[in-house]
Amino acid sequence: MAEDPGLTASEYLDRFFDELRDEVRANPKFASRVVKALGGNVIFENEARADVANPYILAANGSKSQFYSTFASMKIGQIRQVLRDNNLATRLDMAGKSPEQLIDMLFDRASSKVNERKSSLF
Amino acid sequence: MTGAIAAIANLKGGVGKSTTTVMLADGLAHFYGMNVLVIDLDPQANSSQMLLTERGVQAASDQGKSGHHLLAEFVAGRDAQAGPYIIPNAVTLEELRIDEEQDERRGWISILPSHPQLRLRELSLEEEWYSRAGTPTTLAEALATYLKAAIEPLLPLYDIILLDCPPHLSPLARAGLAIADVYITPTIADSVSTWGTKQFSDWVGRYIAPDLPVRNFVLITRFRDTRYARQVVSELREIYLSDRWFGPTIPESVQILNAMDRAAPDSYNTLRGKYGSIRGDVRRLAERFTDFLSQRTGATWQKIRD
Repeated sequence: MAEDPGLTASEYLDRFFDELRDEVRANPKFASRVVKALGGNVIFENEARADVANPYILAANGSKSQFYSTFASMKIGQIRQVLRDNNLATRLDMAGKSPEQLIDMLFDRASSKVNERKSSLF
Repeated sequence: MTGAIAAIANLKGGVGKSTTTVMLADGLAHFYGMNVLVIDLDPQANSSQMLLTERGVQAASDQGKSGHHLLAEFVAGRDAQAGPYIIPNAVTLEELRIDEEQDERRGWISILPSHPQLRLRELSLEEEWYSRAGTPTTLAEALATYLKAAIEPLLPLYDIILLDCPPHLSPLARAGLAIADVYITPTIADSVSTWGTKQFSDWVGRYIAPDLPVRNFVLITRFRDTRYARQVVSELREIYLSDRWFGPTIPESVQILNAMDRAAPDSYNTLRGKYGSIRGDVRRLAERFTDFLSQRTGATWQKIRD
């Protein structure tokens, strides 16, 4: 950033945080990463939820009830998107399944993957 | 100066172990003036090739300076000495070459090179050992004792010894893992490599280092910035390797491939010329690794270049 002699240090910081705030509002994935990096947890609105919900992390770090409550309020299309985006189901696997069945599949498969990939010692 | 021994290791191949070895050697020597010894334990000899060129690797072997010659000493029951097999200056960076010309006692990169002959020598040793009722484990233990004794006199000369380990568990590879103080694990952001980190953690944790998490520096390499890759990185950091120390994420880059292809044994390049747009990654790698090592050993290093 070029130096602007007309701005004070706090004005520079204001500009920086304004930019950060704008990006956080516009980009839910970025917002999720920033908040996670700061150790926080944020509830996202419906439209953003499917984009940021990571079933592996939820299956590994959260409870089963927390997992189900995260996905239960999603529309069926969003649940299918999460399954697809996370390589947890093909179209064929999901065909004819109800939202409840899809969430069961999501939980079972994400939990299994986490167990398969996690060290058995650490 | 008492060199820490760092094994660059992962049981999965193709994750960038040799590239990491060379980037780290360059970064530590260039930015911190550390004296680095690379010991290439991988018969594929990739880090040797990257530092010395193919011709240099062959010439070193022809002159009797290679890991398989040290192994021949073990077979013959002679004293353990790594010194005679080391190429004392394997720098490829012009800044380090000038330092050496001016007799600055800093920023050396030396190498005990490998050669494809290493695996053949090891195989014949294995056949002989097992025919005398030895086991892979007793051979690995004997080799570890020998390797440690061979390196010990060199520890005061170097700040860090980087062991480039092969992606398998031959007795020599196990010996390398057994004598390491810390483990650098390069991995790629994909599912097969993630599973590879589990195999590495389980095996090393069970047989070599029960305290692996505090001795493990993980590096995500060849990173392509896609949604899937970002997700895998976040899973590695938050689930599978959440108890490890992470280095910077190294992008996939043609520049890195070019940087590892030395034109000739007498060809040098500046850091900027060699690494171009990824030189910041080399610096961050050196910074993060020295932080990790300081936390492990209590030693500190001052930067000599920015």
